[in-house]
Amino acid sequence: MYQLLLTRVYLTSKIMPLLASLGLGLCTAMVLVIWSVMGGFLTTLLASGRTFAGDVTINWPAGIPHYEALTKLLEADPSVAGVAPIIDTFGVVKLPDDRIEGVRIVGIEGTSYAKVVEFDKAIWWRPMTEALRKDRDAKDPRLDPNAQDWESIYFDSLSLTKMDPVTQERIPAAVVGIELSGMTERDVAGYYTARGLAKPRSDGSVINLPLYLHNNQIVLNMIPQDNQGRLLTPTSKPLPVAGEFRTGIFEIDRRTIFVQLAELQRLMQMEGAPNVKGTGESFNPYANLSPDGKSLGTVATSGEAPARVSTLVVRAADGYTPDQCREACIRVYREFERSFEGRVPRPFQLENGKSIKTWQMQMATLISAVEKETALVLALFWLVTFVCSGLILAIFWAMISEKTKDIGILRAIGASRSGIAAMWIVYGALLGVVGVVFGLVLAIAVVTNINAIHDWLGYALNLYIWDPRVYYFSKIPDRVDPRSAAIVAGAGIGFAVLGSIIPAVRAAWIRPVTALRFE
Amino acid sequence: MALIQTVNLKKTYSLGNVDVPVLRGVNLSVNPGEFVAILGASGSGKSTLLHLLGGLDVPDPTDFTLTFDARPIGKMKASELDRYRRSDVGFVFQFYHLLPELNVLQNVTIAAMTRWGWAFGAHRSEVEQRATDLLKSFGLGERLRHRPVELSGGERQRVAIARALINQPRLILADEPTGNLDRKTGAGIIDILLERRKIEGRTLIVVTHDPELAAKADRTVRIVSGVIE
Repeated sequence: MYQLLLTRVYLTSKIMPLLASLGLGLCTAMVLVIWSVMGGFLTTLLASGRTFAGDVTINWPAGIPHYEALTKLLEADPSVAGVAPIIDTFGVVKLPDDRIEGVRIVGIEGTSYAKVVEFDKAIWWRPMTEALRKDRDAKDPRLDPNAQDWESIYFDSLSLTKMDPVTQERIPAAVVGIELSGMTERDVAGYYTARGLAKPRSDGSVINLPLYLHNNQIVLNMIPQDNQGRLLTPTSKPLPVAGEFRTGIFEIDRRTIFVQLAELQRLMQMEGAPNVKGTGESFNPYANLSPDGKSLGTVATSGEAPARVSTLVVRAADGYTPDQCREACIRVYREFERSFEGRVPRPFQLENGKSIKTWQMQMATLISAVEKETALVLALFWLVTFVCSGLILAIFWAMISEKTKDIGILRAIGASRSGIAAMWIVYGALLGVVGVVFGLVLAIAVVTNINAIHDWLGYALNLYIWDPRVYYFSKIPDRVDPRSAAIVAGAGIGFAVLGSIIPAVRAAWIRPVTALRFE
Repeated sequence: MALIQTVNLKKTYSLGNVDVPVLRGVNLSVNPGEFVAILGASGSGKSTLLHLLGGLDVPDPTDFTLTFDARPIGKMKASELDRYRRSDVGFVFQFYHLLPELNVLQNVTIAAMTRWGWAFGAHRSEVEQRATDLLKSFGLGERLRHRPVELSGGERQRVAIARALINQPRLILADEPTGNLDRKTGAGIIDILLERRKIEGRTLIVVTHDPELAAKADRTVRIVSGVIE
């Protein structure tokens, strides 16, 4: 009981231990900020897979034929919530400003794709009635229905089509990652605006016309491959832009273009085609053309090669992990191969080549690197926090020398050795609590406002630390995990107690008679 | 029966390689309620004897007797000695030995806290009342929230006496209680001690240089070269 009285009094009257406690608090804050940001990055990375890449992908670049049958088999499995066939390939795009960029071109069917990933939520240009949280002045152009026809643009983006002004028919269109074209600019409040095109007026003044990508067209260039994986003649296709999307994952937003699956199958020569008689190979009507586009002759055909997709994207059902879903995909694929033996890639080719992957397996290198980096940085900062133990030890050692006579007095009135030791350990623990509380408050304040702080640093000091090109996401993780906070808090108090143990034992073993004579 | 008794009590201090015998075989017997004054020159072993009687130190492991109410305090374990000091003994020191960060009331009640431990909460109001009454009777009713640094020497010693009495111990051990005070103040302190002894029937052993104080004792013993003459 006297321990609490004295520790309370010492806590409020001794400055040096409080400074040590402050140091501990700063270390606590440092560790928790690092853990929150890097751990949050890892969590976001893992979650993003589910949101934008599905739980499992079955990938065969040369193309998986009879994919409709495989889709049916997969969707019949209880661990599968949905399957989307896509073509995932690479190409080159020519942008409206004549720039050429290497891109990932993904052909999707809107309905099946929406079952598996949150494509609709990623469409950026859409009508909005409520501003973004940080957009206090409501400057987001999407809030203004007169700025553009946001409803039509959103519909076009979802359907990956656009109305041809000449034929008045819907034609295939592309939805482009918002960071690709460079025609939009992101405000610190989170919304995008189109860069302007300065146009002179008749009166000599200049008007700034916003230049939106969806009012332009792009040219896609890609190299198809046949069902044996052989490269065919490169193909080029101008496409109008329906709209833009944003996932928040910079690499995806910078390098991805979505088009209709059927259109990409046609461009990649992966749609169903008649087989050339005698060879069994599929007849490629595009390869058999003269430069002026005329057919070079008729070819005898027999049977048809089925349409192909390069990838099936699978979403796990609720209650199933991606790994469980992957096991199911492997099992189902074996069953599928038995039904189409010789006509589809062999299971071992997919399994050995690890073509059936979870998102985590796909990102294994990056995830492993981030985990190791996180562990290393945390270890270093834990070491720094441990130094605070030494600080508390040194301060307590000095305090006990100063308090030797008081310890003698306490022993004279009946305090035990264990009671004296407990008093100093309780004092150390209280210092730990004070420091940790300060550290937690500081860490939570920094982490929850980290994007605003980062934006301010950039605005005021031209200091941009978080480069989305390096760190994969355009937003710094800004959430403190309660479990991490509890661990850091416990460890902080633990270090404080650790620093107090040796001085406490020393205090307990001071001889009362010697202590009372201490000057 | 004697309340406290010693036979052949010895204590030697080691200073480096040199052993310094302080007590060389003390025989003393004090009855309940008695006031005994111990006189002696500096270095004669008076304070050492008081520390041994109060369980603050342990005698040499020779053939000796040291009992309190027939309990062998000379052979008690550390925890038993702690309990003995909490319950049966009250110390008053020459230099008061108050805790500087605590106020007057806290300096007195802290002795009860060590006695009751975590059960102090149940006795808090009773203890604080007794402490307040004691301090008021010593003329310190207006100084309860003051720190020792704000008190005079005589006031501090009165606080120390209140602390020694708060647990109602059977034995009060005072080591030169007036040694740091002027004559008049010192006399006032002794009056307090004697009055409390009279009211509560406590046994009082006082180490002193002051012959006037010694004259007020029921009995005076003199230590010379580590033995009682």
